This record gives sequence, C-alpha cells and structure tokens, in this order.
Amino acid sequence: MVDFDPTIINKVFEHTDPVEVKPEMIKRFCESLGENNPLYTDPEAAKTGPYGGIVAPPSFAVTFRNGRHFFEHIPRFGRRGFDAGKDVEFVAPIHPGDTISLSSHVKEIYEKTGRTGTMVFVVIRSTLTNQKNETVAHIDHRFMNRP
Amino acid sequence: MKNFDEVNIGDTLGPLELTVTKDQCRAYAKTSGFGEVAGRFTDEAAAKKEGLPGIILPGNMSLGLLSKLVTDWIGFGGARLIRMGTTYRVPVQPDHALTIHGFVTNTNPDDRTAEIDIWIENEEAERLVTGTATVEFPK
Repeated sequence: MVDFDPTIINKVFEHTDPVEVKPEMIKRFCESLGENNPLYTDPEAAKTGPYGGIVAPPSFAVTFRNGRHFFEHIPRFGRRGFDAGKDVEFVAPIHPGDTISLSSHVKEIYEKTGRTGTMVFVVIRSTLTNQKNETVAHIDHRFMNRP
Repeated sequence: MKNFDEVNIGDTLGPLELTVTKDQCRAYAKTSGFGEVAGRFTDEAAAKKEGLPGIILPGNMSLGLLSKLVTDWIGFGGARLIRMGTTYRVPVQPDHALTIHGFVTNTNPDDRTAEIDIWIENEEAERLVTGTATVEFPK
C-alpha cells in the first residue's frame, strides 16, 4: 500500500484571501465559453428569473485560484502528477459582488491498479466560502501519480 | 425551462457541436488565472515542449463546456446543476470539431433530481472527457 503521513488528511493547509467577483469577471468568463443563457448574461431578463439578477454559471466556481503554495502541499508519489478529474458540488450560486475565499485540505489518498499499472490518486478538497461565511462549493481535485 | 415531470430516463441533452478556437482557449485560461502558470493552455511552443501536439484546453474549460450542456438543457428556470464529476481521459485540442453529449440515466422523484451522463467527443467519436451530473428541480 502507498505510504504517507496520515496526519495530513483533513488538515487545512491553505486559506486564500477573499476575491471580489466583479460583473466583468462573469462577463468575460461567459464570453470565453460562448455562454448565452440570460440567467448569466442578461441583467434585465435575469431580474425575472429565480435569482432576481445575474448569477455566475455554476462552473465559474472552479476558476478561483488556489494560493501560491497550493502545489507544494500536494503529496507526490513518483513522477509528477496530472489532473485526472474533478468532482464539484455546487452548493449555492455565486452572485456579482460576492467575495469568495478558498480553503484546501488533502481529502484522501488511494491506490488503484489498472491496465497501465499502479496509480496513486491524491484528492484535494477546496471549499469556497462567501462573505456571509456560507459554503458556495466543494471542489475535489483528483491528481494521478505513477509511482 | 425544464420541469421535473417532463424528464425521462434516456432523454438526451444536446448534442452541442462546437470548435474551440485557440484564442477562446487563451481567453478562458486568462479568466481563471491559469495563463500565467501554464503555457500549455496559451502558448503553442510551450505546449510542444511538454510533448503535447499543441495548445490544449484547461481541464476546467472542458468542465465548463459540459456544465453549459446541462445549463442549456435546464434553460431559464429554477432547476440547478448541483453536482458534476469529470474524468480527463485524453487532452482536448482547440480547432477540432467537438461534440458534447448527455443523457438522463436516472430520475429520483423523492428529491426531484435527475442523474445525467455527459461526455466530450472528437471527430473520431473518441471520448476525451467523461462525467456525470446531478440536476435538482424546484420542489
């Protein structure tokens, strides 16, 4: 079994400074994805929608940058890991004007043997919180390493 | 606008056919602050140096396109994408015809949710990114 220090699990290693979500950030994000749903792009139309105004598309949640030292805290096993995938829980919509901070911890480390050999997966969970201290999203980053 | 009562197992989402340009790829990388860290999303020479065929889409951009498939399907309504999982199998390249697919695999009347399989295909029908999503409908 893969060998690691179990005390790193669940220990928050990083908490970022809050970032204010400016309307232009949502606008540019929508443009880069070809987004045209009025819920995210049309302030007038969005007033009559379920959120009473524009919100960011759900996947905007994954654009918040981790801190400068994020990658230093990801345990490595053998060759450098790569981004194998994500699991995101979108808890609440992000509104323009919200300030979002992000805290991260190692959620789990597990080994898997497939056709191509042994892989070690490191799952880092980043939790997004807004200015009211409400959880907005949980993002599980799955990094794959080949020992 | 999509209502829970009209959702059935086997319903398809999209397909969404699109080609991401290199500029769009760079624009996305910029919005999420990746451009500064990873040249493989913005710079042809840097990507090739890493052994890639050229610029590739950030994994998050693929997630964004899959999310768009689902939110397009929801339309202008109160249903919400509450969960999405993705697996990045093969790098996604700009300037290639991509097709984004989805279909409903399960519905749960108790919590008014639908489970959806989602994936991005290239011209050869190879699945580059696969995933699942959960949509919650208003009670």
